[in-house]
Amino acid sequence: MHPKTVNAVPIVRADKLVKRYPKPGGKSETFLAVDGVSLAIEAGEVFGILGPNGAGKTTTLEMLEGLTDIDSGEATIAGIDVTAAPHKVKEIIGVQLQANEYFDHLTLTDLLTLFSRLFHRDNDPVALLKRVQLEDKAAAKPAALSGGQKQRFSIASALVNDPKVLFLDEPTTGLDPQAKRNLWKLVESLNASGMTIVLTTHNMEEAEHLCDRIVIMDHGRVIAEGSPQDLIMHHAPEPPAARLHGNLEDVFLSLTGHALRE
Amino acid sequence: MGSTLLMAKTFLKIFSKDRQSIFFTLFFPITFMAIFGFINTGSEDAIEIGVVDNAGNAFSAEFVDALGRHPLFAVTVGDEGALKEKVVEGDLALVLILPEDFRGKENPADLTMLVDAAQARQTAMLRPLIEHALLDLEREMRAIEPLFPLTVVDVEARSQRYIDFLVPGLLALTILQISVAGSGYNIVEYRRKGILKRLFVTPIRPRDFIGGLVLARLVLTVIQVTFLLAVAVVLLDVPVVGNVFELLVLIFVGSAIFLSMGFCMGSLAKTQQAIMLLGNLITLPQMFLSGVFFSIESMPEVLQPVANVLPLTFVVSSLREVIVNGLSLAEQIPTMIGLAAWLAITLTLAIRLFRWKQVAS
Repeated sequence: MHPKTVNAVPIVRADKLVKRYPKPGGKSETFLAVDGVSLAIEAGEVFGILGPNGAGKTTTLEMLEGLTDIDSGEATIAGIDVTAAPHKVKEIIGVQLQANEYFDHLTLTDLLTLFSRLFHRDNDPVALLKRVQLEDKAAAKPAALSGGQKQRFSIASALVNDPKVLFLDEPTTGLDPQAKRNLWKLVESLNASGMTIVLTTHNMEEAEHLCDRIVIMDHGRVIAEGSPQDLIMHHAPEPPAARLHGNLEDVFLSLTGHALRE
Repeated sequence: MGSTLLMAKTFLKIFSKDRQSIFFTLFFPITFMAIFGFINTGSEDAIEIGVVDNAGNAFSAEFVDALGRHPLFAVTVGDEGALKEKVVEGDLALVLILPEDFRGKENPADLTMLVDAAQARQTAMLRPLIEHALLDLEREMRAIEPLFPLTVVDVEARSQRYIDFLVPGLLALTILQISVAGSGYNIVEYRRKGILKRLFVTPIRPRDFIGGLVLARLVLTVIQVTFLLAVAVVLLDVPVVGNVFELLVLIFVGSAIFLSMGFCMGSLAKTQQAIMLLGNLITLPQMFLSGVFFSIESMPEVLQPVANVLPLTFVVSSLREVIVNGLSLAEQIPTMIGLAAWLAITLTLAIRLFRWKQVAS
């Protein structure tokens, strides 16, 4: 990743976040989905949260977004406490969700207008669609879009309030290489316009390509943190399985093990 | 408030484009109305009776002719064997046999009435009718005026047809079905699709979402119910005796109760199957116990106390009183108390149970 100037004030700050869920099967027992996660994400960076399935990535993201209650610890976005003022936080963040379905019978324009108005804003839906290269689909319904188009539309709907921080939850999962590259470009251009981006991913190549800094999570904890290059320097096994590229995957596997996750 | 109206407008747009579900919500009650509307006109026909004229004289011919003119009866004349068979087949309600000595005014003759004894109830109903008709004929033939002529005046000036009883019940049932499906099923579907979460990341408040959905459903329910009522009035001559504004109030209150019930179900049920089950659990018993198709008084005694307090019962009975009997809401205080109680219960529960964080994920 090319070096860039990053504002040193953390725009997203998480301090020892904890989330307990009831154990599936066991009635009164709980397990820690997120176990004391602390993050400091600086304004203007692209920040990646990596981890195997069930590591607590999405739960961490949802606590930052105000979608899930924080059991203990605290989170602030641009200095606003997420628990105390969830609505103020929602005003300044954009959230792209894994689910990609919308109301039936509404076009992309209808939906963007609706989301925009819910933020009490008047963003032009066509301009938003242009930003994600979907302007020719303005009158289409989401069901008619391809996987990549759906993801881009999902991002467009997260941009209706001109967010300071954009959260992307596995934005390229299930996309073909072309659609994936196309989405990376979109993320880069949004970041270039000054937007802070927080994303989760399984894709090491994606993390290496997009992220200024990453954390690797497993079993609800942060087990490594740094720039992709730092992590490769410190954690890549000797000798690297593949010398020139894709080494972050080796780092990931050496840290989280080779056992299959559900 | 702005977001509530925005959501209401949005939902109205979505629901009104959902032609399929609009068709099916109207199809069911209209089918019922059509079936019972036509059956009903049949029941006003004259009673089919047979006459065997064993006398075969001028006087007996005059008698048969007079009986044929009687509005209650449609007369078939024939021989005893053939007519008897028709009674057995159910084509004729009874057969009157005029004896051979049926000769004239000064000569009383014994008539015989053949009936199907298996139809004991029908026979018991028919006998006074026949006797009354014979008395009418006798007076006519002897040219005597009745000593106590009786003119019947219907003080209520209302119809007693089954279709008039049924239509208010069907309207109430439609309100129940549209509302439960329109809130409960919708919420589960929106959760499954991740739409609730999508909305929850915006600054929308629960009251905007619920308020918008309720407003849209109310508007749609009023339109659908008005359409059904118009069909009933125009095609089936169902009278609307009561106050139309009060009718609207009842439609609103009924919808609000059932929408709230739907919201409760939608918040509790996590899957499509669960909501279907809950929905049936709420709609099916009420459909049969709330006096939609037959009056609660005609039900087994043990069921009546339960039937009397079901929410649909209050909606059905108040709609029926307003539409068919022309009563005002102020004249139905116990029913109004029942409606108010259900509205308070279901609304409180709906608000308690609907929490974005739990419902959305």
